[in-house]
Amino acid sequence: MSEPVLAAILTRHRTSPPNILHTLLEIQETLGSVSPGAIPEIARSLDVTEADVAGVLSYYPELRTAKPGRHVIRVCLGESCMANHGATVLARVRAHLKIEVGETTRDGRFTLERVYCVGNCAVGPSLMVDGEVVGRVSPDQVPALLDSYP
Amino acid sequence: MTRLYLSNDTSARAAGTERLAQAWASAPGLELVRTSARGAFFLEPLVERDLPGGRMAWSNATPDDLPNILAGIGGTPVNRIAFLADQQRVTFANFGMTRPLALEDYGSLGGWQGLERAGSLSPDAIIGELKTSRLRGRGGAAFPVWSKWQVAKDAAADQKYVVANADEGDAGTYCDRMIMEGEPFRLIEGMLICARAIGATRGFIYCRQEYPAAARTLREAIAAAERAGWLTDERGRFHLEVFVGAGSYVCGEETALLESLEGRRGVVRAKPPYPALSGLYGKPTIVSNVLTFATVPSILARGGDWHASLGTEGSRGTMALQIGGRVKQPGLVEIPFGATLAEVIERFGGGMAAGARFKAVQIGGPLGSLFPASRLDIPICYDAFSKAGAILGHGGIVVYDDGTDMVELARHFMAFTADESCGKCTPCRIGSVRSREILEQLQAGRSRPGDLDLLADLGETMKGASLCALGQRAPYPVLTAIEHFPDEFR
Ligand code: SF4
Ligand code: FES
Repeated sequence: MSEPVLAAILTRHRTSPPNILHTLLEIQETLGSVSPGAIPEIARSLDVTEADVAGVLSYYPELRTAKPGRHVIRVCLGESCMANHGATVLARVRAHLKIEVGETTRDGRFTLERVYCVGNCAVGPSLMVDGEVVGRVSPDQVPALLDSYP
Repeated sequence: MTRLYLSNDTSARAAGTERLAQAWASAPGLELVRTSARGAFFLEPLVERDLPGGRMAWSNATPDDLPNILAGIGGTPVNRIAFLADQQRVTFANFGMTRPLALEDYGSLGGWQGLERAGSLSPDAIIGELKTSRLRGRGGAAFPVWSKWQVAKDAAADQKYVVANADEGDAGTYCDRMIMEGEPFRLIEGMLICARAIGATRGFIYCRQEYPAAARTLREAIAAAERAGWLTDERGRFHLEVFVGAGSYVCGEETALLESLEGRRGVVRAKPPYPALSGLYGKPTIVSNVLTFATVPSILARGGDWHASLGTEGSRGTMALQIGGRVKQPGLVEIPFGATLAEVIERFGGGMAAGARFKAVQIGGPLGSLFPASRLDIPICYDAFSKAGAILGHGGIVVYDDGTDMVELARHFMAFTADESCGKCTPCRIGSVRSREILEQLQAGRSRPGDLDLLADLGETMKGASLCALGQRAPYPVLTAIEHFPDEFR
């Protein structure tokens, strides 16, 4: 972790009262993840306990303690996508990338996650790659779609 | 110059409007205007054009359709698209016509009239208008909006807050996303009216992390409204900020949302005290979902009586229904309360998708009950749903076809609850995991006698002894699946 960057973020967030989630989200945005090793420094800077910081870090699914792959692919398993065979889409993604949900491919290209609805239910089944929603995904499209990402 | 209208909404883009915009970007003599979405997503990508006879639409367009569109060949008059013409839109009336960030578009189609009227009224008169309107919160609990405002207004405090719950977490729903991306000024206007009524000077929009485009649009809209002076009145400036969450379903519960907004774990607080008295940082706070705030401007502009004249006895006004799953015509439908589920699925959903046969429909997101074909005569309103032990929730309607495996679906619901439980109460934390395990045993053909009774018992305990809606409601989809499709659970 690059220390001066972290220190700069922490200085900006020394508010009263401190906002732990805000701080961690910004650290993650800048550095890609929040390293557990940084917990003591974050706690000291915000004047909260290490348990407070660790508690927030472990609570939110979107806060990461390790850097994800180059692309984060999230397959929707919300009910509307389930009704439209989103589970088959997920199976195809897993098979093509040879990883399970929560894992990153060995070459570091993709991290696979699932998500419960991205608000694209009328154009499902949906998946989201790096914040862009892809709709009406047919399972057969999956390999070509994934291969189009560098 | 020929002007074509294409939506910039996330779902319209995902359906292909973005591809069209790229393909046509350098076509000579063409101006592409990116608008909000009509909500007729089954027609997307939808391209529109003004012709002497009115607005024409080309649906499911491909890049090759450009010559025909330019020649005016094919196409349907927008006002003859039955899916849209049969609706009675109020909150979504301008959708598909306006550019989301153009203040002049919003203003020219009636925007800010509610706020201007509120500016001429006393706080009590604003709240009186809402009382007359009989507006109930559209987020789930369906609480009368005016009474929360009254409590917050009457509370003496040095600081009060207005918080928009934009954590639209129920799968199958997208109307809040459409508002934030398509007409963000309507949400801002609703929040400003609330701020005026209760005396708040700060506001937050808590937007779920899965909606990056919504958060971006909101931030730009706030800046634009600010520059145009809409955030300042004689009381001073209203500070409005967007806060993006971090992927927790429970944060859609208002007290968990407030915890999260304060930067802590998004765990549910016991109520009372209610947020209207003691909310964000212990101060009086109105938390309402996006659709509720977006409904307020029309009520102020047209009067509470007008709003109360729509809908049914206990459910006044219109409801934004979001039809999804295996129907022919998925999309957003705004109609007065009172139509039956069957009417909505047939008339607007267009019946089942090609080759699919109806099996069940779920309303109200992952915590909503399942209805079989024999129960589709239920009217869509709060009272009928609560009498049936069901919820309308956020108005999501998901239709399942006959290929759906009900045991797998039930397992999926409990896996979701186990994943998302905040862990504060035992029935929800343990009950969801145990229920999932029982269903997995059943799938593996290893269930023991009495397992279904145990599942029902666990469900009853969760319903009665959980602190928030996740634990209280999670058993409903599972138990209604067992009730209506018992053969599959043998
Ligand atoms: S019901 Fe579940 S999600 Fe709600 S407070 Fe209890 S443990 Fe948390
Ligand atoms: S259920 Fe998948 S986008 Fe809503």
